[in-house]
Amino acid sequence: MRFLELLWFSAYAELKAESARSYLGLVWWLLEPAMFMAVFYVVFGLIMGSGDPQYIPFLLIGLTFWQWFKSCVSHGAYAIWLNIPMLRQVRLPILLFPLAAVASDTVKFAFVFLVLLVILWTMGYGPWWGYAALPLVFAALLMLASASALIAAAVVPFVPDLRFVIENALMALMFVSGVVFSPDGLAEPYRGWVALNPVVGIIAAARNILMHGRWPDWSLLLQAGIGSALVLLLASVLILRLAPRYPKLAM
Amino acid sequence: MPLLRLENVGLAYQGVRRVGSRGFWAVEDVSLDLHEGETLGLIGRNGAGKSTLLRVIAGILRPDRGRVVMRRPLRIQLLALGLGFVPHLSGRDNAILSGMLLGMGRREVELRLAAIREYSELGDFFEQPLNTYSSGMVLRLGFSVAMQVQPDVLLIDEVLGVGDAEFLEKSGNDLRARMRSGMTCVLVSHNDATIRELSDRVAWIEQGRVVMQGDAESTLAAYHAV
Repeated sequence: MRFLELLWFSAYAELKAESARSYLGLVWWLLEPAMFMAVFYVVFGLIMGSGDPQYIPFLLIGLTFWQWFKSCVSHGAYAIWLNIPMLRQVRLPILLFPLAAVASDTVKFAFVFLVLLVILWTMGYGPWWGYAALPLVFAALLMLASASALIAAAVVPFVPDLRFVIENALMALMFVSGVVFSPDGLAEPYRGWVALNPVVGIIAAARNILMHGRWPDWSLLLQAGIGSALVLLLASVLILRLAPRYPKLAM
Repeated sequence: MPLLRLENVGLAYQGVRRVGSRGFWAVEDVSLDLHEGETLGLIGRNGAGKSTLLRVIAGILRPDRGRVVMRRPLRIQLLALGLGFVPHLSGRDNAILSGMLLGMGRREVELRLAAIREYSELGDFFEQPLNTYSSGMVLRLGFSVAMQVQPDVLLIDEVLGVGDAEFLEKSGNDLRARMRSGMTCVLVSHNDATIRELSDRVAWIEQGRVVMQGDAESTLAAYHAV
């Protein structure tokens, strides 16, 4: 209880401080992802465009969910490392730092998602009854993002050099997560490998719901959910075992 | 049975972050008792392991050998100023955040906000972002928040008051009053007068070991004789 209270206030403090750091403040929460999407829209939608009118909602949904996942991981990766000086001053639950990063990025995602909905509606996609399944999609991706953020946060303090690897690894992961193009178009054996990535199933479920109002592929979503929960459990065990070692590290 | 006992405690740090570097023992082998209501002074040269020892007592660092035994669950606070302060947040938000990081509940901190504001003498600045403060004001706020915590054991690493002359006296007096009022304390200081004034007992630490412990006068005398 005390932990959740602290988690929320830390996330709130982070968001408030972040919005106070720039002239446009809160506007950036929408503007930055919009710029990111615009770049992909121009490159993949217009320049290399397939002419398929469904491609734009396909891309926007993929990018919105991917950005949420990606920001949780890249932001969470620094969470413990940057707080080592504080960990030397007071005893705190180590999960606080990466989870506060995930919480603040999730709040930002909520805003972006609302914008996505408005765009989809104006393009004639939805709203549908299938939205009822969205919480499951959110839950699966949130678990996966938390798990990945925890792992990154656990390791970076020991090997800070990994910071240079993580961003590029995330970009590579994006291309095999069905964000920009559907993995269905891939040849075997790549297609089979890519299907193991839980992000693929989650984003596919989101597209099914948001573009077609269809229920997601339950078995695929269930697989992704169970996989994510397992990784989250392992990541929590890992970080709790490593917890006593962080205050001893040099930053 | 003392309130808290260290039994053959040792703690090693990793060396420089290089492939193949080895660790070193900041605390080699320390056995110490802390009794309820006393102030234990820790003296020793720089790098003797005093600050590491405080962090072991606080439960921040887990000893690599030996153990820490407590008579009952204790709330132990290392006096830390400005914990978790964020420059872009107001004094009020920082006070809440810092208080919560120090172990208070949100309601608990909010109930004490008026006291924090008054003690820190920040006036209207309390609602302004921290990056508009002078360094003295930041310390005043940090100290005011830290003083709201009511621990069973207070650990002090050299900080015995902060701010300009006036606030230094006020904060120092209040901290001393707290130490004399029967609170259990461990105090690290390089200042002989402070150690003499506040410690009931003194332990002299050198290279991660206790060289001597006893009353302040004789321990200080032995320490300076070397």
